[in-house]
Amino acid sequence: MSLLRKGQQWGTFACVWHIFDATWQDPFKSAHLIKKYLIGLHKPIYHPLNQCGDHVIVINSKEIALRGDHWQKRVYFHHTGYHGGATWTLAWELHSKDPTMIVKKAIYSAMDGTLQRRFTMQRLHIFPDDNVPKEMLENVSNQIKQLRPVPNRLYEIPQEERDKIPRLIQYPSDYQLK
Amino acid sequence: MSNKHLFQKFGFLRAPFGIGVGRYVCQLQRITIKFCKNHGCSLGIRSFLEHDLIDYAKQNPGVVVYVKPRRHRSPVLKAEYLNGETSWICIANFSRQDIIQWMELLKTQYHDGPALRLLKLWHTDFPSIQGPWTPFTFKNPPLNQIKFPDKKIGEALKFKPTATEELITLFEEQQEAEKFDQKIPVQKGVS
Repeated sequence: MSLLRKGQQWGTFACVWHIFDATWQDPFKSAHLIKKYLIGLHKPIYHPLNQCGDHVIVINSKEIALRGDHWQKRVYFHHTGYHGGATWTLAWELHSKDPTMIVKKAIYSAMDGTLQRRFTMQRLHIFPDDNVPKEMLENVSNQIKQLRPVPNRLYEIPQEERDKIPRLIQYPSDYQLK
Repeated sequence: MSNKHLFQKFGFLRAPFGIGVGRYVCQLQRITIKFCKNHGCSLGIRSFLEHDLIDYAKQNPGVVVYVKPRRHRSPVLKAEYLNGETSWICIANFSRQDIIQWMELLKTQYHDGPALRLLKLWHTDFPSIQGPWTPFTFKNPPLNQIKFPDKKIGEALKFKPTATEELITLFEEQQEAEKFDQKIPVQKGVS
């Protein structure tokens, strides 16, 4: 194999680092998106036997948004193996203990239960906020697009722009605001 | 494909080195004909030796022809090629005509053909003119300049404006229309 061919081979199988901002994203729906990048399904050279998986950095996992009342109703089960060792943890409880765990478990369960799954998971790096180590961040060369637009909060809009928003109704002077 | 093929040589079909450069070089270097003078299964090769061998040797001065009689063994053709490979054919009970054809084949091939399992029926040194795909082909070049994470790049694709944005555009249109009305006063008293 000539030097040029070698370079082409390295280029084709180059491992790319992606970054994904989980702010206001549904972890269970974004898991199916991130999974594809971790396995390498987004590449035209994909084959289950070749090593074409990429690294994905998920930031702001603390800011995820769950659908409906999933924070109260979604339960994470764990059993220690001893009698009476079963625990059921609510999603909000788990999230307050470890803000990366829900995303991690969502992606883990989105993947097929093959022998490769644990090795694929090693290519996933989750951070509760946007403090990513510098040596990791300098590898990143692509950003995965979010699935949902992040809602714009009123307090985040500067005052000048807030004044420009048209007033639809005028409350009566004696109207009781909550 | 059965298991015995696992130890078979495999590769792609390729021309021997330098075959198309300059003159033609016969790849067959030496051919050994082993036969028996008495046995019936060597009948064909014996008639070949009588009638055709001298012509064959004259026509192919580059090929060394060995003739090796041996008692009561089946006749054999053994060809040795320039690349070091040998090809071996048992020619017991072959007719003279068959042997002429086999000799021709041994002369024209450059290696033991059937011993090589072809990985693909086609092969090219230049599978793609554009070059193989890499993760960076078809990427937008400005992505190189961006410092990740970038809020603009990462945000979800927007296919239609939100209700708030639509409301604001409606409001702006209305204001524009009011300005336009003020600029052109309506003529009064025209019937």
